[in-house]
Order: sequence, then structure tokens, then C-alpha cells
Amino acid sequence: MPVTYDLVKTISKVLYERSLKSVPDDTVRALHRSLAIETNELARTNLEMMLKSIEAAGQRKCLICADSGVPQYSVKIGTRVVVEGDIRKAIADGFGELVETIDPPILEHITNPLTLERGHKGKDVPLVDFDLVYDADYIELICSPKGLGSGQWADLQIFSFPALEVIEGYVMECVRKAGSQHCPPVVIGVGIGGTFDYAAKIAKEALLRPLGTQNPDPFLAAMEGRLLKAVNETGIGAMGTGGDITAFAVHVNYAAGHGFTPVAVCFNCWINRRMSARIFNNGTVEYY
Amino acid sequence: MDEGYTIECPLTEDRARKLKLGDMVYLNGEIIITAGLSSFKRIIDFAESGKSLPVDLNNAALLHLVNYNRRTAEGKPEVLYLNPTTSTRFNQHMPSIIRMFRLRAVGGKGGLDMECARAMKETGCVYLSFLGAGSPFLSSSIREVISVDWNDLVTTYRLVRLRVEGLGPAIVSIDSHGNSIYENVRLGLEERFPHIIDSLCAAGTKGKK
Repeated sequence: MPVTYDLVKTISKVLYERSLKSVPDDTVRALHRSLAIETNELARTNLEMMLKSIEAAGQRKCLICADSGVPQYSVKIGTRVVVEGDIRKAIADGFGELVETIDPPILEHITNPLTLERGHKGKDVPLVDFDLVYDADYIELICSPKGLGSGQWADLQIFSFPALEVIEGYVMECVRKAGSQHCPPVVIGVGIGGTFDYAAKIAKEALLRPLGTQNPDPFLAAMEGRLLKAVNETGIGAMGTGGDITAFAVHVNYAAGHGFTPVAVCFNCWINRRMSARIFNNGTVEYY
Repeated sequence: MDEGYTIECPLTEDRARKLKLGDMVYLNGEIIITAGLSSFKRIIDFAESGKSLPVDLNNAALLHLVNYNRRTAEGKPEVLYLNPTTSTRFNQHMPSIIRMFRLRAVGGKGGLDMECARAMKETGCVYLSFLGAGSPFLSSSIREVISVDWNDLVTTYRLVRLRVEGLGPAIVSIDSHGNSIYENVRLGLEERFPHIIDSLCAAGTKGKK
């Protein structure tokens, strides 16, 4: 039985709506963990308000943030999956249907960068990237709408044969630049190496990794621990009014490249907006 | 969590000056909200050319809150939800606006810079920090949509006058005496930053294979 256009369209819509009206379970757990150790009174108040906001959104089925973001989907196609129809179009139509039907309606955030005109549609939107998963019999859809609050602080710089200290120092410069403005506690995704585009891609993949998971590479795991400690020593805290927890996690990916080394850094704000599903050949859907 | 207290908007200068850094407040009364760079530019253009604004901003609470507004079937304005946006985007325009209209409260999330704080000290104005992604509880405070102006602009850029009850909690993050929690956090970060980088480098060198 193939994965159909209709199913991909429906799941695209469902994932977007869920990402706007709820917060991923791993992130709720990270908020509770933060509250258990935070010592700054204002930060504790902010963390408590965050939990209250999640609870209220669940009760009222409303949007957690008014910024519904730029629609972005990552699609991973299993090499054993059978597809019927145009997946790209199914995702675009799923988002289109969401815009027509979601209650409450979402704001017109999609912006033409040349004219600054805003609407619910635009060139190349929804932004979709594709990848393959060897031997899998499913399609994985990851919906991660990116809002302005955290989206504007992502950065990328290219170094020449950088020492590790230079790379880590640059990550810290990005944190310093964002300061109080990206709705912390944040998740930080770092991509090192490859090429300009590849570093950004793997930084984004790092960002999407579930919170609380250990990086399988011990070298990167140590680097993540070191950077998280450094980020939390900045004292920026929840919502930037001071505190012990500025980031829930720093996730790092790398790829081999040439002597020029791009380093990409991106952020997710405290709601850590991303929802995923796998659609299998037999028609079953697993959300996570 | 601190219980906080309620303040009536628009604030008097005396009341604004008595608000302390770190206080948690809930807003009752009238506020004006908008969240677009083009809205702030237009406010300044109007004021500088002597054109009257569709709402009275004098002594007002002008907040950087995004909102979804529309007309009901009967033609009445309604606001479905609201949420703070990053105020620092408006750093450039806020000092003029704060001084021109002697604003008593501004707010949003992420703070404003010290140039804005200086303008606020002059006029008697505070910055209120709302929770980013706090829309579910912030939106429930809307009691009346008094007016929506500049309908040629997209919904978030319009000038919206609301009557609210219990909007908050909000934290007084810049007071009317030149003190700013954001600046304190920034200065603390700047002081610690060289040490943080040194420790990071030392730890990284140790961890090298």
C-alpha cells in the first residue's frame, strides 16, 4: 500500500497545528528540570509562567505564540517506501488548508524579502528539504515553524583551519549577541565543517535532536557539556532577565570539509517548536 | 511565584515613578498596542509633521504586543489573541516616541537599550516585560477593543486600543530612574565573558584527543 498524497497533506497540516498549540514533551520535562535548579527569583517566575502558558494552551486549544513562524518541513524518505502523488505539493496543500481552517487563524508572517509584503503565501514557501533514509519503509515529516524571536539570531561564519577554541568562542559570541532577546531558555544547534550550506543543514539537524539525549560521539558530547556550562554561566536566564538557565542544551554536529571551516549556530526559543511523524507503507502513522 | 499587584493604565507619572525594578504587575485599563517598524515610523512622521494620530498617545501605555484583529460580521473590531514581540527591534524609534508623548509605560519582551531608558527616566516611564509565548493567558485579559486604526497596514502593525483586565503578569524590567534589568544582565555578562572564554578554552584543550 503506498503513502498517498492525501495522507501526507493531512499529516503536514496536523503537525503544523500541533506545533503551534503544544510544546514537545522533552521540552516540558526540560522546563521542570530547570525550575528544580534555578536559583534566580525572576527566572523562576518566568519558568513558572512558561509552564502555565503550556497548560492554558492545552485547555483552550489556542496558539502558544502569536508568531506562527515561517513554515518549514524536513522530509526523510525511506528507500523502501512507495509513494503515490507529489509529496512537495501535498505539504504545500496541507499548509494551505491549515491557513484556511485553523482556529484561531494565524497571522500573515510570510514575508517577501524584497518588498517586505506579508501574507500567507510566498516563493518557495513552505520551505521543504528532502533526504533519504536507507532501507526504511516510511516517510518522516518534521515540521519546525521558525519565528522571528529566535530565527533572527542564527549566524554563520567561515574560518580557516580554526582551533577548537576559535569555534567554541564563536558559538559564545553568537550567544552574547542574542543576549536577552531570543526567548531563553533556548536550544542551540551548532554545525561545524562541510560547506556553507552543509554546516547550516547539520546545525538545524542538531537543533532538532531530542533534549536529554547523549551525543554518541564522546568528543562532541564533551564539547556540548562544555558549551552548555559556558552558556549558562552568562547569567542571561529565562526571558533574559537573569538566571542560571539560559539554554536547555547545546547540540553539535560536524562534517569533514576543506581547510575553510564554516560554523553555523542556530537557536530554538523555549517552546522549542518541532513536531514529527513517520508515515509507513502500511498506512500507520507514528507521531513523536 | 510572587503574587504581584495591579496597576491602572494609563499610569500617572507619580505611579510610574513608584514602580520598582523586578516588581510583578497586572494591568487594568487602557493600553495601545502595535508591533511594526512601519507603525513606529508612521507615528514619528505624523508627530513631526503636526498631523494628529487616530489615538491619543499622550501619557499612554504603548506596548509592543503582536495581535490578530479583524471585524466581526456586525462590523465591530475584535482581537483574537496577543503576544509580546522583541522590543529591541524598535530601539531606534522609541526614544523619540517616549519623549514626544511622555509615555508612562512601554513593554514587550527582550527589553530596550539605555538610550530608551534615558528617555524613560526623563518622562517617567517604565518598561514591562511580558512572557514570550505567553499568549494563552495574556490574551484572556482583553475586555474591550476600543478602536483599531491604520487598517491599511497588516493586522500586527495597526494601532489597537484595548481595555484589559489583569494583563500579565509583567515584570518591571526598566524603571523610570534609569535602572534596567537587561542592562544589569548585559554588564554581568560582559564582566564574566573573558573568564567564561578562558575556562572554555582550558577545558577544550584538556578534552583534545
